[in-house]
Amino acid sequence: MDQNINDQAKMPLSCSMSRRKFLNCLAAAGVLTALPGGLLKPMTASADLNFEDGYQIFRNACPRNCYDTCSIKTYVRDGVIKYIEGAPESSFTHGGLCVKGYAYTRRPYSPDRVKYPMIQDKRGSGNWRRISWDEALDIIARKFIEINEKDGSMLGLALTKYSGNFGITNYAVEGMMTSLGYTSRLVGTPCWPAGIDAQNYDLGDMWCNDPEDMVNANYIILWGANPAWNSVHTMKYIYAAQERGAKVVCIDPVFTQTAAKADLYWEVETSMDGALALGMARHILDKGLYDRDWVMQNSIGFNDFARYLRNEITVEWAAEKSGIPALQIARVAEEFATAKPATIWIGYGMQRHVNGGASVRSIDALVAMTGNVGKVGGGARYGHLYTWGFNYHALLQPRPEGSVGFLGAEGPLGDFDFSGDKVDEYSDRPMNMNKTAEEILTVDDPPVRVLWVSCKNPLSQDFDRNKMVEAFKKPELIVSVEQFFTETVELSDIVLPVTTLFEEWTVNASYWHYWLSINEQAIKPMFEARSNTEIAAALSRKMNELKPGSCTYPTEIDTKEWMIKEFNQGIYDLFQIQSWEDLRDGPVKAKMHPASWQDLEFGTPSGKYEFKSDLCAEHGHQALPEFKEGRKPYDKLRLLTPHTKFGIHSQFVNLDWMEEYNPKPFCYLNPIAARERGIKDGDMVRVFNKIGEVRLEVKLTDVVPPDVVMMYTAWFRNLDYNCQNLVDDTSSDMGAYKTGAPGVAIHGQFADVARV
Amino acid sequence: MNKQLGFFIDAKRCIGCFTCAMACKNLYHQELGVIWRYVYDLKTEVYPHRERAFYSLACNHCENPTCSNVCPVKAYYKRAKDGIVVHEQDKCIGCGNCIRSCPYGAPRHNPVLRKAEKCSFCWERIDSGLKPACVLSCPVDALELIDLSTYENPNVVQYPQGFPRYTKLNPSVRFRVAETPTIIRRKRL
Ligand code: SF4
Ligand code: SF4
Ligand code: SF4
Ligand code: SF4
Repeated sequence: MDQNINDQAKMPLSCSMSRRKFLNCLAAAGVLTALPGGLLKPMTASADLNFEDGYQIFRNACPRNCYDTCSIKTYVRDGVIKYIEGAPESSFTHGGLCVKGYAYTRRPYSPDRVKYPMIQDKRGSGNWRRISWDEALDIIARKFIEINEKDGSMLGLALTKYSGNFGITNYAVEGMMTSLGYTSRLVGTPCWPAGIDAQNYDLGDMWCNDPEDMVNANYIILWGANPAWNSVHTMKYIYAAQERGAKVVCIDPVFTQTAAKADLYWEVETSMDGALALGMARHILDKGLYDRDWVMQNSIGFNDFARYLRNEITVEWAAEKSGIPALQIARVAEEFATAKPATIWIGYGMQRHVNGGASVRSIDALVAMTGNVGKVGGGARYGHLYTWGFNYHALLQPRPEGSVGFLGAEGPLGDFDFSGDKVDEYSDRPMNMNKTAEEILTVDDPPVRVLWVSCKNPLSQDFDRNKMVEAFKKPELIVSVEQFFTETVELSDIVLPVTTLFEEWTVNASYWHYWLSINEQAIKPMFEARSNTEIAAALSRKMNELKPGSCTYPTEIDTKEWMIKEFNQGIYDLFQIQSWEDLRDGPVKAKMHPASWQDLEFGTPSGKYEFKSDLCAEHGHQALPEFKEGRKPYDKLRLLTPHTKFGIHSQFVNLDWMEEYNPKPFCYLNPIAARERGIKDGDMVRVFNKIGEVRLEVKLTDVVPPDVVMMYTAWFRNLDYNCQNLVDDTSSDMGAYKTGAPGVAIHGQFADVARV
Repeated sequence: MNKQLGFFIDAKRCIGCFTCAMACKNLYHQELGVIWRYVYDLKTEVYPHRERAFYSLACNHCENPTCSNVCPVKAYYKRAKDGIVVHEQDKCIGCGNCIRSCPYGAPRHNPVLRKAEKCSFCWERIDSGLKPACVLSCPVDALELIDLSTYENPNVVQYPQGFPRYTKLNPSVRFRVAETPTIIRRKRL
């Protein structure tokens, strides 16, 4: 009997996969009552029966680099999350989440979680041992002190962090690095930099209309965007516009789920979006359908642009480049120019090319010349950071006295770096995030001795996986802060368990809609998980214990207090709230005009919309939004690796609940391409190119063109599938201006397929 | 006609996102492998492009539920006030008759309890004035709760292509069919 109780007490640490067992574990931990609805026994419904009674309700927010950044209502009973819903207060999410969001309920309790700090005896061996937080931090801190003494600086410590958790307090990770001295930072963004720079050259910032305002458009072009999968809550505004009579055109090399819901779909030749936009612009110019008044009053360089169009561009040329018939191009151009207001949503897919920035500039120009910028129901929509004006309190740490750093770096540290201009003598050493493997392998004096990974899974998400595996052999110590045993953790020495959103305090804004949400701690951290904020404080404690003054980060932190410190009057005014506490009643929307640039005061050097940008030319690009060729094919098929609806980057796909609906990866091939290769539906195939290969099952379908092979980014917990085996790290054209490094031509990739 | 709640499945709006299916799991935490609601993609004979049109299906809360008729212990009953077909798991002896007899595959075998279970229409939520979880979750309002005794909509069908036709059961579900856009494929030179 005693033995039994003992065993039960241990169960939370060793839960297996079954729900029953899992529930038993919680029962043993004294935290379980019946599930909501139980197993639905009949009872007489009485008038005052209230399904939601008896729950504590918390506010959370999805921080996963998704357009929708949903505000969540979390129902907790006896310290256990029973279920979650979307916040009904947000008109954007409307009480709902997405398939990933609803899988969250499983995430904190997943039997696969990293439960306590662990150390791997030999990197990649799989021989993990549990250690205490104290031991883990001791090893790490001693190493930090050692490299500082050896090199005379902390530059041998490199941080790679990106979008795994955008909760504002997670800047504690960067702050922790700063408080150790000058370190190396992998900067840039793999995602959207080409478009960010393009919009900065044209408009002076990246700023989109409220997505809820899409309902006011009379014409909507969804260009390389797939909201049906990646921004599900925006779809209802597109439908609403459509039902009002707006025409919806979808332009994409793939017949996406969004394309299936459009009125018209154009299967554009991959990376030829710029040609298409310029062809439409030329036709609008010829027909005199551009908005003369708007262009005269609000822009510079239009005459040069018009001259370029007349001299270099024809609709027939655009048709040849893009594969879309000239008559089509002309018709849609006319419809778009006359619909007013008309809008284009520029997706992040179409700019992931060596000519991506140039393509975005062409599309911006198309929207601007028709006078649709600055209008309700109009706009060249890409993204925005106008609701991100927090204090970034965690970042603002002094360097330890006498810190030595890097000389000569300037420029930004990434799209979400808000640390401001630094005027120090030294700086951190920037390394290009999009060439992480290359940088780790080649950077010297000092080399990367310690790599710290947080909010990121580079082995599954960064490019050229084989090179990355090589690179991960080089550092003397690799520390991963994670929730699951990802491929990156597999190649780390120490893993530290980090909290899920339900176990920490933070605050979240969106780069798409205008809502703001608080993220409350709804349950106590499971197992030994700690938030990034707490990890920073604990490390600081250890550093100062071993070598006083070696880390300036506060050693005692109340995570809620730290969240509160992120707020300021600007935020309160923008959202018209008195205090952060107001957010406990539900998310609030910024009191901003629904149309970006509605005052027509642009952030460019001229203050006008710049069809011709000298700044762009200074940075080594064309001053005008001229056509630029895509990457030359180096293999038979175009390889596309977009997002799946079941995951965001490498997150969510690994949850057992998600596996019920998405148990394994597939690649998608057109029957024509399959026939040429003797491939049948359901065959196991090899997709391969010059840098690597993957093996998986094929689905034949006409949603992809005959010269394309498509598969999705994902990380499965029990499969070695990884699309990054095939994606090299070739840069896109723009991104260095605003995010510190150009993006990656993720879709400028090629491969071939064969039956195995 | 008595009040009869049903599901309206708008395949024209549905984006096949599986949100409804996961929202059900989020609420009831079914055993792995036990699924009450699933999003079925239409075969290319019904919709010409693979995995681009869907029916989100669960128990149809039929007018004449065969599950109930074949159950030896009367573990099923149909609520008079709204037609919801309730399965009482306490009574269930796991004989599997309902699982075998329902042509829509709604009742599933729970391997841990060795009993059947199926979509409850979230009747506890409905009794509290809330929407079923799946309906609330659908981001594009493609899944709705309707009362067939009053529901009128000229664009709906009960048995669209791809959905089994069992008129004797009279499933409480209505559909709007999916549409395709005008498609301009690129010229291949
Ligand atoms: S992944 Fe996106 S849509 Fe889904 S819950 Fe999170 S923010 Fe919402
Ligand atoms: S769908 Fe099947 S389980 Fe549901 S009521 Fe009809 S017969 Fe019974
Ligand atoms: S009505 Fe309730 S039980 Fe039935 S599928 Fe919807 S969520 Fe699940
Ligand atoms: S949630 Fe709505 S759109 Fe998504 S699959 Fe279900 S019914 Fe379709």
